[in-house]
Amino acid sequence: MTTWHSALLGIRTSGDYFISTFLFGVMFGIAAAASGIQNWHALLMSASVFTASGQFAALEFWTAPLPLGTIALSVALVSSRNLLLGMAMTHHFDGHSLPRRIAWLFLLNDPGVVNSFRMDEDVDRLGYVTGYGVSMMTSWLCSTFLGLNAAHLFANLDLGAVDFAGPLVMATMMMLFFKGSKSRPTPWIVSGIVALILFELDSADYLILLGSVLAGMIVAIVQVRRDYG
Amino acid sequence: MMAGIVYLTRVTGYFIGLQLRHIRGIQPVLEALPGCAFMAILAPAVRQGSISEILAMACVVLIMWRTNNVVIATGVGMTVLLFGGPFLDPG
Repeated sequence: MTTWHSALLGIRTSGDYFISTFLFGVMFGIAAAASGIQNWHALLMSASVFTASGQFAALEFWTAPLPLGTIALSVALVSSRNLLLGMAMTHHFDGHSLPRRIAWLFLLNDPGVVNSFRMDEDVDRLGYVTGYGVSMMTSWLCSTFLGLNAAHLFANLDLGAVDFAGPLVMATMMMLFFKGSKSRPTPWIVSGIVALILFELDSADYLILLGSVLAGMIVAIVQVRRDYG
Repeated sequence: MMAGIVYLTRVTGYFIGLQLRHIRGIQPVLEALPGCAFMAILAPAVRQGSISEILAMACVVLIMWRTNNVVIATGVGMTVLLFGGPFLDPG
């Protein structure tokens, strides 16, 4: 399948997450308006940063004067899972020039990567993930715009009730991973257990992420070594 | 600045992967990593969740298991969160 057709396939199959991204975008628009950020700043942030969790994290610290170091650190920590998404796609973006890969990585997105693993072998993964990303970006920008302009209607709404929406959407992706994976889910189960242990030990969020990913990686390596004999 | 940082995380991961790709059997290890990150975020979120949040998560997992339908799963989960909270969560 050509890159172009794979990109179109990515757009066509992104309907589910287009809707959930739209929901988050509206919430982001409302939260951005409440924090006093100018509309064009919020839209520029959505267009250039393109990550829900990172943008919400930045809003938490959006006060004058801007604490740039704190914002940079929190955005980097929240976005650190992008490192793992990029690593996961290492073997799947072959056959494209390096400049193209570097440019199109801007649209790397969680649901696109998760769903790309469920596609047939002949689908061009870079095209697919990019097409998916175009759809997510469209959803994200339109919904941010809507949220910013409809914020006055939701002035009394308690957004705290939907704080847990992020983990819910992440759970849908995890289930797609579980059901679509050809290998055993042991690394993910171990990661979850280690995350719980570290959480009970009052570890910082970044340590929980680091520790559980490391544990999962070690289990995956052991699993591969066993399979290879 | 934020855009640069986020883009850097996307590109850096890919380039780290390129440096490791010659290692035999590394592909399934790299492909397991995003799931590990999701679990690292999900497990503590559920552990400290309220009754309505845990119920919402259970609904999402069950619906995804049976139907693979993201919209229904997320919709039901959000409904439980929004309307179940006042009845299920103490205080």
